[in-house]
Amino acid sequence: MRTLILSRLSQLVLVLLAVTFLSFSAMNVLGDPLFNIIGPLAELDCDAVARGEIESTSSSLDATRTDCEIVAEVKAEFRLDEPLLKRYVLWLGDSVRGDFGTSFASEGVPVSEILKAKFPASIKLMVYAEVIALGLAIPLGVYGAYRANRRPDRILSVVSFGALAIPNFALGVVLLYVFALKTGVFPSSYDKSSVWSEVKSLFLPAFTLGSGLAAGYQRLLRTDLVTTLQEDFVHMARAKGMTDRHIMFRHALRPSLFSVITVFGVQTGALIGGSLVVEQIYLIPGVGRELVTAVVRDDFPVVLAGVTVIATAFVVINFAVDLLYGWLDPRVRAQ
Amino acid sequence: MTKAGVLRQPDDNEGPGVVGRTLGRPFWIAIGWLGLLTVLALFASWLPIEDPNKVGAGGPRLGPSFSHFFGTDALGRDVFARTIFGARISLLVGFLAIAFGIVVGGGLGIIAGYFRGITDQVISFCFFTLLSFPALVLALLITATIDRNQWTVSFTLGILAVASVGRLSRANTIVFAEREFVQAARVLGANSRRIITHELLPNVMIPMGALALLGMGIAIVAEGSLAFLGLSVEGDAVSWGKSIVDGSQARDLDKNPNVALFPIGVMFLTVLALNYAGDRVREYFDVRETAF
Repeated sequence: MRTLILSRLSQLVLVLLAVTFLSFSAMNVLGDPLFNIIGPLAELDCDAVARGEIESTSSSLDATRTDCEIVAEVKAEFRLDEPLLKRYVLWLGDSVRGDFGTSFASEGVPVSEILKAKFPASIKLMVYAEVIALGLAIPLGVYGAYRANRRPDRILSVVSFGALAIPNFALGVVLLYVFALKTGVFPSSYDKSSVWSEVKSLFLPAFTLGSGLAAGYQRLLRTDLVTTLQEDFVHMARAKGMTDRHIMFRHALRPSLFSVITVFGVQTGALIGGSLVVEQIYLIPGVGRELVTAVVRDDFPVVLAGVTVIATAFVVINFAVDLLYGWLDPRVRAQ
Repeated sequence: MTKAGVLRQPDDNEGPGVVGRTLGRPFWIAIGWLGLLTVLALFASWLPIEDPNKVGAGGPRLGPSFSHFFGTDALGRDVFARTIFGARISLLVGFLAIAFGIVVGGGLGIIAGYFRGITDQVISFCFFTLLSFPALVLALLITATIDRNQWTVSFTLGILAVASVGRLSRANTIVFAEREFVQAARVLGANSRRIITHELLPNVMIPMGALALLGMGIAIVAEGSLAFLGLSVEGDAVSWGKSIVDGSQARDLDKNPNVALFPIGVMFLTVLALNYAGDRVREYFDVRETAF
């Protein structure tokens, strides 16, 4: 078990370095941070000015400095004059200490403060969605396996197939229209004035995210349970005269949960992506909305920090699932 | 609960895994729907429909009628025309994305699976890194920093497909590389290039057919998700995602739901058709691995 943890840990560190480097270089190479901070001024060719080939227009922003002085100042402040690799190392050093720099758009506000305020809503939404997903998938998966290939199972299978084909945003818009705008059963936007109103206002977005997950879990669980039900120990339990309910929930369910747990980690990625979108539809002030605002305003430190934190969380969750899997299944430990 | 369920042995002729040898009528209905959409999308410019960007093609916020099948939006643009022209971008992006994924990911996967060793380790690590991003976050990272037209959006979504397709193709290659016909070719003196293109490629490509259909559905949905983040194609170009976003603000949705709901319906049917067709093809060739 210890070797497993150690090898996975070294892999985790390597992948985190790769992920952060990829994010950092994508933002810096594909995008133009200097342009995002100071606008068209970034296109001024300061080398040519220094050589005296073109006249430096006297500053339109600040009378005391020339344009090129401003450019140089900004470059120094945001370390844009350093080579990419050095900037990455410096940025990484700051990031692990929780310092993601300051926002370009809202001057002087630390990025970490901006994101810290936005995370709770997103995390609540995702946990809520998982609770709904598992709450639906486990009973329905057990029922589908119990009635395998009979009518209830076939109906469940068609419903879950359909649910998998509905994009998050499509379901979100339809539910918003039917249950919030037309019938008014649920509020149409986030309301955190009390715990109850929060639970109520997050229900539709969480259900939107959870139903797709539930469909995936249900199919997996059903398939695995059908296999488990053919095992000898199930026949043994039957022979001892145990009730079906007891066999299903106490004997067969646990060994059939492995695929669901494995997929849980992978599905978190889809859940994170989905919550970015669903936050737009239900106007939930989470990380997703902050990221979109930051993208529109070209606020590159916020985007970079958001992407890094999300990707890191995703990698760590999958790491934890890997370990959990090893803990649950002795065969994995032995490898 | 009755006592019948648990003990019953499954019969031989039922249960998952047993597949009819024909693709079945629903499969051809799905293909028919996709074909119809493709034809409409290809010939959209010559069809007797409005210009999708023409403001005031009808009165604002009209419901569905004979002159405007899907009604009009707040600016009086024809929703039916926007859906048909939207199919152009959405289907194109979906197709190009998965095509890119299959060519690049499939190719890299075969190379990794055939040569093994350090090549395999490097390529597999790249796949692993790409898969370490939640897909939409990676798409956001790329599209946020580039000019967005149908080509760059397709390319971005294609990158998302590379790792998943690559892993499948690598796994299949490893299996096939051990088979007798590949070893026979090697004994006969075929070089690596010939073995890859003549022996491995045709075998590894078969499961890719199912993957192409499933992946195209995923890419079409991903375009819609990007549209909600404001990161789909820029400018006047119409896509399903952009049309749906247009009608999804609470006020618009309340007053004229047709703007969002009609494109949603068409997109849903399309994704359903792609998923179903992909599933059937996968079962037909009895390929047990799935990449997504």
